[in-house]
Amino acid sequence: MKAYTKKLTALAFSMVMVSALFTGCSDDKGATEAAKTASTNTGNVYKEKYDPPVTISTVWGVDPELKFKNGENIENNVATKWAKDTLGIDIKSLWSVTDTNNAFATKLRLSMASGQQMPDVVTVGDAQLAQDLIDSGMFQDAGALFDKYASDTWKKAMAQDPNVWNTYMRDGKRMGIPVLDYAYNHDYILWIRQDWLDKLGLAAPKTIDELEKVMEAFKNNNPDGLKPEDVIPLSIGFKTTMNTWMGDPSWIFGAYGTIPQQWNKGADGKLEYGSINPAMKQGLVKLNEWYNKGFIPKEAALWDENKTSEPAVAGKAGILPGPYWMSGWPLSDTVKNVKSAVWKPIALPTGPDGKAGRHGTQFTNGVTLISTQMEHPEAFFTYQNYMFKNLADSQPGGVFDNGLFKGYDYDMDASGKALRYEDIPGGYVNSIRYLLVRDGARIPDAQMKALLNLADGKEATTRLEKEVKLNYGLDTPAAAKVLMSQEGIAYPNLYTGPTTTTMKSKMDYLNKIENQSLNEIIYGKQPADSFDKFVESWKSSGGDQITKEVNDWYSQLNTK
Amino acid sequence: MKHLKRNWPLHLMLVPSLIFLIVFSLVPMGGIVMAFQNYKPFLGFTKSAWVGLDNFRALFERQDSIEVIWNTLIISGLKIIFNLLAPFTFALLLNEVRKAFFKRFVQTLVYLPHFLSWVILGGILLDVLSTDGGFVNQILTSLFGIKPIFFLGDNNWFRFTVIVSDVWKEFGFGTIVFLAALANVNPSLYEAAEIDGASRWKQTLHITIPSMLPIAVVVGTLALGNILNAGFDQIFNLYNPLVYQKGDIIDTFVYRTAILNGEMGLGTAIGLFKSVISMVLILVSYRLAYKLANYRIF
Repeated sequence: MKAYTKKLTALAFSMVMVSALFTGCSDDKGATEAAKTASTNTGNVYKEKYDPPVTISTVWGVDPELKFKNGENIENNVATKWAKDTLGIDIKSLWSVTDTNNAFATKLRLSMASGQQMPDVVTVGDAQLAQDLIDSGMFQDAGALFDKYASDTWKKAMAQDPNVWNTYMRDGKRMGIPVLDYAYNHDYILWIRQDWLDKLGLAAPKTIDELEKVMEAFKNNNPDGLKPEDVIPLSIGFKTTMNTWMGDPSWIFGAYGTIPQQWNKGADGKLEYGSINPAMKQGLVKLNEWYNKGFIPKEAALWDENKTSEPAVAGKAGILPGPYWMSGWPLSDTVKNVKSAVWKPIALPTGPDGKAGRHGTQFTNGVTLISTQMEHPEAFFTYQNYMFKNLADSQPGGVFDNGLFKGYDYDMDASGKALRYEDIPGGYVNSIRYLLVRDGARIPDAQMKALLNLADGKEATTRLEKEVKLNYGLDTPAAAKVLMSQEGIAYPNLYTGPTTTTMKSKMDYLNKIENQSLNEIIYGKQPADSFDKFVESWKSSGGDQITKEVNDWYSQLNTK
Repeated sequence: MKHLKRNWPLHLMLVPSLIFLIVFSLVPMGGIVMAFQNYKPFLGFTKSAWVGLDNFRALFERQDSIEVIWNTLIISGLKIIFNLLAPFTFALLLNEVRKAFFKRFVQTLVYLPHFLSWVILGGILLDVLSTDGGFVNQILTSLFGIKPIFFLGDNNWFRFTVIVSDVWKEFGFGTIVFLAALANVNPSLYEAAEIDGASRWKQTLHITIPSMLPIAVVVGTLALGNILNAGFDQIFNLYNPLVYQKGDIIDTFVYRTAILNGEMGLGTAIGLFKSVISMVLILVSYRLAYKLANYRIF
């Protein structure tokens, strides 16, 4: 118990330190200055370019979709050459493996367990692997290094959501550097068949009641002349979860004030599990009603994400909930089946109390770990600071203004106009994936900002604006605008800590009774009141204990 | 010793499979210790904390573990029975076919589904068995006027669907084993029976079936050892929250705990539990096979 309190204090203390640092740094130069003074203690000197070159060793899990050209491979390519020439950093690959069926995680586990040389720097996406690696004790307090060497751009990006570190905290130390990703990637809006609405003379539904009227009309008065039993007004599925990246019903519960299968902030400021909130019951009653009326697929309980897009693409579905980028994939294929089909993004409808809600997206996609044995940890920051300055925050006229490497991920025609990916001579390769950290460097809100600028009719000037304009679906900027019109309704899962003791032994059972009860209510096999029974047994079968553990973790984060 | 001298080439041929057995089956058995540890991959066996029987306790403390074990036993028991009866009968019928071409053709045809993976079949079954214009339900409705049956989402039908689809997939493979047994029946028995004036049916009853019984017992015995494997690939691709009650089996349960949640210790504990029961069952069925069919496997 005593050690526990100690951890708590240490954690709290470090949080204070972090927030102080975020506010303390003023500009890039300042960070470098700070780095220089600090580095005298360790003997290593942060430099913009190293001469003689320093080495960073790493290991690669290569995405099977990743292509190479000019006889290159992941260990030796345009990006490694660039790093050596520009930064004096020699990227040394210990090994690489094509990452199918979790091969990367498996190989990493095996090589570490068998005591092989470990990489200086490794970026992992698999959450469990990351936790295991941190627990191995082979990696150092990356947070301290980050404070010392990271540039201001990077620090600001990281500060957009201070929760990103939470997952990697150990005894108050930040054991890994979260890999930032674009925000809002999985936040929901509704995609609706605008051509159907137009033909029926209906406006886009703003409330759940209006949505019902629209679905009714789609089904029984279908503009394309489909028989009622062939139409799926709202294509959703929940085979494994009600909270995923496409085609789930979480936003329906959102309209009543909760998001299922994640941890939300309750009325008392504590975290509560969304699926046991009383608001769930109203959502379930609604879904049961819709099931009986045939508004949702009869086999929704058997459908996973991709299956929900099938009737949409086939032209049989009226509405498909999902992220803002769906006009590119999968919806762009609809016109191949139904020429007149037009999908438009609309905001999530509100419930009886004017509420709306969707699950939010974490700003991270994996973590970078730094080995305790790494000789020049500062070199990693040289690399990433460069990327954040020139790639993530690329300005017109900058080094990576048009893209990363010419002839790889971008190219120009004779007049200096950027080519679409499919027109690049020798083919487009996603050379950003060759970089040390997956996707190079991303500032969470940058892509959304770029899209909003485009939606407002601004010319594409920065690299990101040009990229999204060239290569995303045509409706993406408009969809982004719709998404951001409801910015305040996104609820990310607030528990991002490691699996707790009780979760380990009980969570699977709790998920099971949850899925079972919710599905049975929607299918009318159990009355809606059986929800209360489910909540009772959820709490008594370990749910209360898990809630306590989750809140213990949460309160530690917030004692500043 | 004299045997060894004379038969040394045969023993030599055993060596590769012995090495295989040692490397892949005996040595990994050391991993059983994980069942008694809170195993962490990077700490290894030596440094992971010992937790005694905690993992086993966690397994049996779950309110649904009895349900899951029952599901496994029922699904797998019925599969064993029907996967024995179906190919047995089919082989008998096929054996009566005169035209060799037709026989071979049918044999190959029914053997084909065996090569399809459940991932693919799962997708196909989802469409074929759909209540919304699925092929099977359309036939049922138009021919018999039955209301569409929710084969994959109804607790009363799920096991039926699982067993029938498994038998459909696998009976072609079993048929081949039985056809091989049939080919080994001594023809002089049939000649003698014919002279005695036995009809085709009598011949089947008194010669064919008795000669096939030993192999049927062997197949059944070997299958018994697998009674706690109710077919992960199949269930995993077909089940859904609506049928957890009748369809969740030990393996899907292990998948979710051990693989998805990274609980190696618990996963190993369940695996060990399964192995021990299977071991007992193999010993029992071995005794039975010896008693009933006078067949010794080892």
